[in-house]
Amino acid sequence: MSGGPAVRVSIESSCEKQVQEVALDGTETYVPPLSMSQNLAKLAQRIDFSQGSDSEEDGTEGEPRDREWSKQEPEEEEGTVKFQPSLWPWDSVRNNLRSALTEMCVLHDVLSVVKEKKYMALDPVSQDPTAGKTPQVFQLISKKKSLGTAAQLLLKGAEKLNKSVAENQENRRQRDFNSELLRLRSQWKLRKVGDKILGDLSYRSAGSLFPHHGTFEVIKNTDIDLDKKVPEDYCPLDVQIPSDLEGSAYIKVSIQKQAPDIGDLGTVNLFRRPPKTKAGTQLWHVKLEAAQNVLLCKEIFAQLSREAVQIKSQIPHIVVKNQIISQPFPGLQLSISLCHFTGEKKNHRASPEKPKSDDHLYVLEHNLHQMMREFHKQQLSSVVMPHPASAPFGHKRMRLAGPMAYDKAEISSLQQSEGLLEKIIKQAKHIFLRSRTARTIDSLAIRIEDPQIQAHWSNINDVYESSVKVLITSQGYEQICKSIQLQLNIGVEQIRVVHRDGRVVTLSHQEQELLDFLLSQVSQFPD
Amino acid sequence: MDNFSPGSIQPKAKKTFGGKTSMGVTCVCQVPVAEGKSVQQTVDTLHKKLEQLGAVKQGSFWVDCETYHPTGNVSGQPSKLLYVMHNSETPLSCIALFEGGPCLIADTNFDVLMVKLKSHFQNAKAHKVECRGSRYRYCDFLIKVGTVTMSSSARGISVEVEYCPCVVPGDCWNLTKEFMQSFLGPSVPELPSVFAAKPEGLFAPSDCVDTMTQYLELFNKLRKMQIPGSNVR
Repeated sequence: MSGGPAVRVSIESSCEKQVQEVALDGTETYVPPLSMSQNLAKLAQRIDFSQGSDSEEDGTEGEPRDREWSKQEPEEEEGTVKFQPSLWPWDSVRNNLRSALTEMCVLHDVLSVVKEKKYMALDPVSQDPTAGKTPQVFQLISKKKSLGTAAQLLLKGAEKLNKSVAENQENRRQRDFNSELLRLRSQWKLRKVGDKILGDLSYRSAGSLFPHHGTFEVIKNTDIDLDKKVPEDYCPLDVQIPSDLEGSAYIKVSIQKQAPDIGDLGTVNLFRRPPKTKAGTQLWHVKLEAAQNVLLCKEIFAQLSREAVQIKSQIPHIVVKNQIISQPFPGLQLSISLCHFTGEKKNHRASPEKPKSDDHLYVLEHNLHQMMREFHKQQLSSVVMPHPASAPFGHKRMRLAGPMAYDKAEISSLQQSEGLLEKIIKQAKHIFLRSRTARTIDSLAIRIEDPQIQAHWSNINDVYESSVKVLITSQGYEQICKSIQLQLNIGVEQIRVVHRDGRVVTLSHQEQELLDFLLSQVSQFPD
Repeated sequence: MDNFSPGSIQPKAKKTFGGKTSMGVTCVCQVPVAEGKSVQQTVDTLHKKLEQLGAVKQGSFWVDCETYHPTGNVSGQPSKLLYVMHNSETPLSCIALFEGGPCLIADTNFDVLMVKLKSHFQNAKAHKVECRGSRYRYCDFLIKVGTVTMSSSARGISVEVEYCPCVVPGDCWNLTKEFMQSFLGPSVPELPSVFAAKPEGLFAPSDCVDTMTQYLELFNKLRKMQIPGSNVR
């Protein structure tokens, strides 16, 4: 009768009897099984009458059956009632059954009212007669109207947008000076001095110590004839940059084999085509950027030449006009020159060699720019935080210099003393050594056919160190013979070779030494 | 002697950074002024001798010492004087020591601290002693010949010889003594008492504190020497 899981009320006793006690002589005393009434009471407790709402049919059947049971054993006391121990166990059952009966009667009444219509009748709620099936034409008209209003709104919006775009274009043609000035001010530093507007394009605020003022002047472009058509690239604003920063410049770093004639020094003045201006950038922006680049190149070159003159090295560096020449390796020459192209006329006094673009080491030029900017940054923020209030600024280890009584040698070793020129020479040495090592290995691999030489270069390198793994194998016998594996670490001036078995050999920068060494390794290979 | 270094615990063995040598074994001694000559002339003679030996001049040096009297209640016994010394070899440090007592190696901010402690330590400005001179290098030796001045009057000549590679006095004292004999002649000193007074004896590593103690002894000796009868504390 319950709606949920059906519980079978069964009175058959289970065959298994629970053992209550085992006597000392082995006889078992069984727990007397529950009597019929006890069993029934126990099971009836498990019936959940509150779930009986969707199976009233079962309820009507089960009802009289349970009533019979309750009449037969009305007086049974049950000790296993879980709740309300004072009431008799069938109390809850009776209550639930009574409520089920009430609901059944109500349902019966409602159904009889619906069917007989003698005393009461059901009456539907009156509805709007016109809310029925509407004619199709009417639907169409209403849809068209609503779409029309939406379309009108969109059209109005589009008209407004069109108007504003047209206005913008008008404005662009007219080019208000003030709005252009605002744009300029958003990218460059400006200040007003008297009735002139001056700007600063130097790197001084970024930490540079170059004494150039880097001031440019903003002038109003008033030579426009409003009657004629305004040219496309018209700008009401013009900037006047200092005369020594005009044009474009770059620093050319190249490594050459032969030493040049003395007469050729200082004639390097190749120029690069100026980079194409991006569409949309203003002329003043291009001009200012070019001038700033010229300033930076000048600063780099000034720093390099100052160091070339001041720092003593074994082979002195030559500084001639706009070129610095130094010898990283004997027979090799590194030349750093500042190429500044000014004015419209091409300088026909180019050096006798045709401009070899592969001669110029772009990497080193980029590194120079990067190191300069790093130097600027260091100037600006040389404070390492957190910082004790009483300690001097500078390297963290320097704070220990006082209490640990460092002498001058130790103090100078803490402070970085390598200048820009030294760094760039080291980098150039490394690049040269690396390319020559690569050439040597490749030429050897081409020349020698029988044991095969393979070189695997590491992708991740340092500016001062690279590494390559050289394998010497014999075709077809890779598994049988142990291949020779050499790890070459190419440094600034030396090459360190590490064998597979751990031996370390240091080679100098001589090409012949590397060649001999590789040949010896190849010959060691068992045939 | 206890050594205090604020901010770090200084181990007994010298730390070297980047393979640079630390301070070696130093011996400070006084050279008497030659008969009939001025202090400057004696110094010049010494310079000549060193140059003849083959030493190379490498700049100059200075050592100075300031005296501080502790104020406050003195329970009968004479209060110990505090000496604050600077050495151009360790330009960023200053060493504060009591004679025969604890010593401290600190940052140069210590001088500022002493100014702040004016109420507890009074600076005896008249007792400031300075030693200035030139610095010579001869292979592993560093020789400093200086004139000791107190209130701008030259009091004596000091010679400091440092043997850089070694830090243990017991190992190199004989060598240093022999070297000093070659240019100092008869006025070679005995083993400085600083080394012998250590608990481990001659074989404890020496550091800049020993140098400064020797300088202090020399300065005190020179101070007492030339002012007979005055109230020297």
